[in-house]
Amino acid sequence: MSTLTFGRAINAGLRRAMDNDPKVILMGEDIGKLGGVFRITDGLQKDFGAHRVLDTPLAEAGIMGTAVGMAYRGYRPVVEIQFDGFIYPAFDQIVCQVAKIHYRTQGAVKMPITIRVPFGGGIGSPEHHSESPEAYFTHTSGLRVISPSNPQDAYTMIQQAISSDDPVLYFEPKRRYHVKGEVDEGSDPAASSMEKACVVTEGSDVTLVTYGPLVPTARDAAVAAGDDGVSVEVIDLRSLAPIDFETVEASVRKTGRLVITHEAAQSGGLGAEIAASITERCFYHLEHAPVRVTGFDIPYPYSKLEFHHLPDLDRILDGVDRVLGRPNSLSGLER
Amino acid sequence: MALKNIESVPGGPDGPPPGLIQLITADGIRVPDPAYDPLVADVDGAALQGLYEDMVVVRRIDAEATALQRQGELALWPPLLGQEAAQIGSGRALRRDDFVFSSYRENAVAYCRGVDLTDILRVWRGNASSGWDPYAINMATPQVIIGAQTLHATGYAMGILNDGDDAVAVTYFGDGATSQGDVNEAMVFAASFQAPVIFFCQNNHWAISEPVGLQAHVPIANRAPGFGIPSVRVDGNDVLACLAVTRQALARARSGGGPTFIEAVTYRMGPHTTADDPTRYRDANELEDWAAKDPLKRLEAHLDSRGLFDEAFTAAVKAKADAVAAELRAGCLDMPEPAPSDVFKHVYSTPNSWLDRQQDHYERYLSSFADSASSDGSS
Amino acid sequence: MAGVIKEFRLPDLGEGLTESEIVNWHVAVGDTVELNQIIADVETAKAVVELPSPYAGVIAELHEQPGTVVEVGAPLVSFEVAGPAGAPPTTGGAASAGDTGAPAKREPNLVGYGAAVEKGGRPERRARRFASQLLGGANPAGGSALPGLAGIPGSVPMIAAVPAVPARPAVEAAPVAPALESAGPRPAAPGLPTVSGERPRSTPPVRKLARDLGIRLEEVPGTGPGGLITRDDVLAASSAGAGGSIAPAPATSSPATSSPAGVQDTGRETRAPIKGMRKHTAAAMVASAFTAPHVTEFLTVDVTPTMELIGRVKESKAFAGVRITPLTIVAKALCIALRRNPTLNSRWDEAAGDIVQFNYVNLGIAAATPRGLLVPNIKDAQELSLMDLAGELTGLTERARAGKTGPADLSGGTISITNIGVFGIDAGTPILNPGEAAILAMGAVRRMPWEYEGQVALRSVMTLSLSFDHRLVDGEQGSRFLADIGAILADPGMVLAMV
Ligand SMILES: Cc1ncc(C[n+]2csc(CCOP(=O)(O)OP(=O)(O)O)c2C)c(N)n1
Ligand SMILES: [Mg+2]
Repeated sequence: MSTLTFGRAINAGLRRAMDNDPKVILMGEDIGKLGGVFRITDGLQKDFGAHRVLDTPLAEAGIMGTAVGMAYRGYRPVVEIQFDGFIYPAFDQIVCQVAKIHYRTQGAVKMPITIRVPFGGGIGSPEHHSESPEAYFTHTSGLRVISPSNPQDAYTMIQQAISSDDPVLYFEPKRRYHVKGEVDEGSDPAASSMEKACVVTEGSDVTLVTYGPLVPTARDAAVAAGDDGVSVEVIDLRSLAPIDFETVEASVRKTGRLVITHEAAQSGGLGAEIAASITERCFYHLEHAPVRVTGFDIPYPYSKLEFHHLPDLDRILDGVDRVLGRPNSLSGLER
Repeated sequence: MALKNIESVPGGPDGPPPGLIQLITADGIRVPDPAYDPLVADVDGAALQGLYEDMVVVRRIDAEATALQRQGELALWPPLLGQEAAQIGSGRALRRDDFVFSSYRENAVAYCRGVDLTDILRVWRGNASSGWDPYAINMATPQVIIGAQTLHATGYAMGILNDGDDAVAVTYFGDGATSQGDVNEAMVFAASFQAPVIFFCQNNHWAISEPVGLQAHVPIANRAPGFGIPSVRVDGNDVLACLAVTRQALARARSGGGPTFIEAVTYRMGPHTTADDPTRYRDANELEDWAAKDPLKRLEAHLDSRGLFDEAFTAAVKAKADAVAAELRAGCLDMPEPAPSDVFKHVYSTPNSWLDRQQDHYERYLSSFADSASSDGSS
Repeated sequence: MAGVIKEFRLPDLGEGLTESEIVNWHVAVGDTVELNQIIADVETAKAVVELPSPYAGVIAELHEQPGTVVEVGAPLVSFEVAGPAGAPPTTGGAASAGDTGAPAKREPNLVGYGAAVEKGGRPERRARRFASQLLGGANPAGGSALPGLAGIPGSVPMIAAVPAVPARPAVEAAPVAPALESAGPRPAAPGLPTVSGERPRSTPPVRKLARDLGIRLEEVPGTGPGGLITRDDVLAASSAGAGGSIAPAPATSSPATSSPAGVQDTGRETRAPIKGMRKHTAAAMVASAFTAPHVTEFLTVDVTPTMELIGRVKESKAFAGVRITPLTIVAKALCIALRRNPTLNSRWDEAAGDIVQFNYVNLGIAAATPRGLLVPNIKDAQELSLMDLAGELTGLTERARAGKTGPADLSGGTISITNIGVFGIDAGTPILNPGEAAILAMGAVRRMPWEYEGQVALRSVMTLSLSFDHRLVDGEQGSRFLADIGAILADPGMVLAMV
């Protein structure tokens, strides 16, 4: 066991994957000497060489398209997108190529590409540096999408992503990069699945589903709710596509109430997918319609306003009150 | 597999390579150039002093903003230290009805366009999504997505062409940006339509930690002719040369000659942004070499040699820079905080039912707190 | 120098950095510094940067030694800067970001930008306006202590339209109003398919029905597919548990609200053909009286406070020109009482085999008109303020008197009031407007000797007569509804405890 920050845990996971498989190569902007703008790849170029840690020209479509070519050639590219808002030039390559080549070639060609994306807000950055684009990718068949919420998962799941024969988007909650946690560096990534959700706080009254950056917020909310006499069960999805609905379903059958929270905008988002699927699966157990506590349907706002946009403990608990029928900010509006 | 990093390309530290347009050397000596001299024949001593003052002022803006960031008053700042001549020389060549599409680093160009100083800071303080009305100064607000603005400028120029106007669109971007598909597509469009657009690339040798050699194996200006666009390499630290080549490109565009590509060879003397640490990736010697070619120092030497750099002049310039810095600081600290409901503003031009509902709910939420009367809801 | 102490806290020096190490100080305590003079080098995870002084002044304190790692937002340096002459040095001041406030509370421009500073300590909720309602003693259904969630949902009557939440399976909650205390626990049905630890399976409308009827789904055997609890299961459970708990006043059927209208004939008798409005009314009354088993209950109330309220309201400027009568207040009281007793606002849909519960109130007012008895209704009366309600009532009666009541006014009623008091009558057994579950007759307001504060006093007294459809409404529900209306009229302040 060692104590690592979230960022160092990813670094350690990358290092171990590169040690274990010479076909693993890293590609991205500023990931070499600089170690990435968040230092996630710090020291890797020095230790593995510039032929395995490639500083690429400044062109995301280029990076992604050449990663496809490398994968054709038998490599397992791990691509770093510098910030969430810069993935869009690569969108065409991801959606039309990365996601579809296995299907198109009828399974003959594998695309074991891992796409690392620092995502989410809360760091006071200018435009394009705080986005939550995960739903674009969960909506794209052929991709697997995961998001760790703590250093241990960061360490294990990056290795699981790299060893997946399918393309994986690995969303890193950048505002948690500096969070420290215990990491068992000897643990075997093959012993667990990156697609299993995790009940991080047990409870009986309300199921609170989230992932990535909001997991610590949700846990705090559960503590505060407990002090108020409400027992909240917090589920960290870990995998966003596919979602481990069995775990969520088991919880909602017990609680009858579901709150989903994410930073991404509400409409057409993952919360909608979770609400619909759980309503289908648990309709007869629901005591209240599922409630979403999410970012607004706005472009990510400038930093002085971002804490209005981002769900926090109070907003989450207001949602909890709604599913419980306790007095809440919308009391009187709901019939 | 070995991708070679080409650390030195033409335009490196060892003097101007052949083909680089230069009118004032690093030592401040005016070198004649039959092709370009006529373009700056009107630039007399007073005009040169004006360009010098501009460069001092924008350097001071840069320093003050950097300090404000270190003091926690700005979220981030992208310094332009070292690139003053490229931006002032080109910016001062423009006409009011020309239109600029820049990246985030062209604060000196914005200064030339007459931007209110406080407006420059709004976006970096996080108090607004942009600082100014593009139509007020005929300059789009800074573009963060690398290279995207080059297409916008090209489209704007296509509009000018359709209108039969003689204005010009000018787009600024970096050496790193030239790798992006957008920039290359912009050149295809500009050439196809012979649009009145100037591609002004500041090759400051770095894209964050990546040297220009990673983006281009030939001088960047050499690429443009492949698209059918005439190009020129200019000493980006020579304000007079930058003025001259921009005037040439403007004249071509205004007279139906289509696009021009200008590569201004310069150097980013500071960090990429205030969040960056260049010592991790670049050699201190390189900075020293470029410090010797500092755009302000050479003009200083040149003015001095002509007796145009007396104490009265320097004192006036310093007073101006001090006043601008004080104005900038005061404007920053006095900037009003946005209201919570501003978070819903300007997403659409007409009411939107989804958002109206979310705003209504959020306002109810904010007023549900015991202290909400006195609160802005930001805790 | 008499000055002000300004504190400079470590800003976030890069995107989302939470701490920095002090490499070295360029200044010492007592040094005079200029604005933007470099005072320290600090190292973040991203870079070593020089910190320029945000003030011109004298260094009063350096809070940390070189080599220490400082959290973003922690105090770094205190400056003494020139202040108002003679003013003693003070800490803080709101002039500039970066100089005031407690670090625990997030102040974006205090800590610079970046990841939120972890507050530390136990996560806490920001206080809300209605929090006291959750925790205070104003909880009518239970004690003030909250055993877990029990007693919280459903027992909070303060906020309008907060749906009551069914009692939980695990913890026995204080009874959820309107509970059937008399029903007693039902035996758990054997062989329920409910998986232990899961909630009983049902559908949202049936849950709502159960909630309204005070039925615990945990105790209802489900007969639907896979043991699903159906509407019939809940209704069966309801009638099994609730019947006969109240002996209602015998129902009689004398139409008390019709006003005579007919065609003259001559002689000792007057004969008129049964037709038109009369025929219609008769058919409706017979249909109502013989399909809906009527129960009528009476309640006599000291309405002096209501009459005083009417007096005060009439005097208030806001209500100038608005006609406020006892009917206005009764109408309002009825709407409020309905929220707590929604079964009175329902309909027996024989054809569909459904009970329709209305979540809105279209309030019928029986009116004697030139055309005969009409019961035009006020749409969505539950939404209306007292003033709006008064306006609607005036308009409605004026239209009725003028014979201008339109078809829309007449259709869609959900519950009715008949004001027999205007005829000087005290009580009666009104017949339901067909399709409705209840009708309230208000009697005349009389000055009568009445018990008041332990003595006999002359008070304003009114009798209320409520008829309801016993298929839809149990004696208990009807009684509670009538009692609620009476309570409001006897003390309008009671509204506060009901909405
Ligand atoms: C599409 C996109 N990818 C990545 C980035 C992150 N980024 C910001 S600036 C920069 C380097 C830009 O270099 P260059 O074009 O040379 O301009 P300079 O910063 O030197 O002015 C990068 C990679 C971005 N803003 N947009
Ligand atoms: Mg550059």
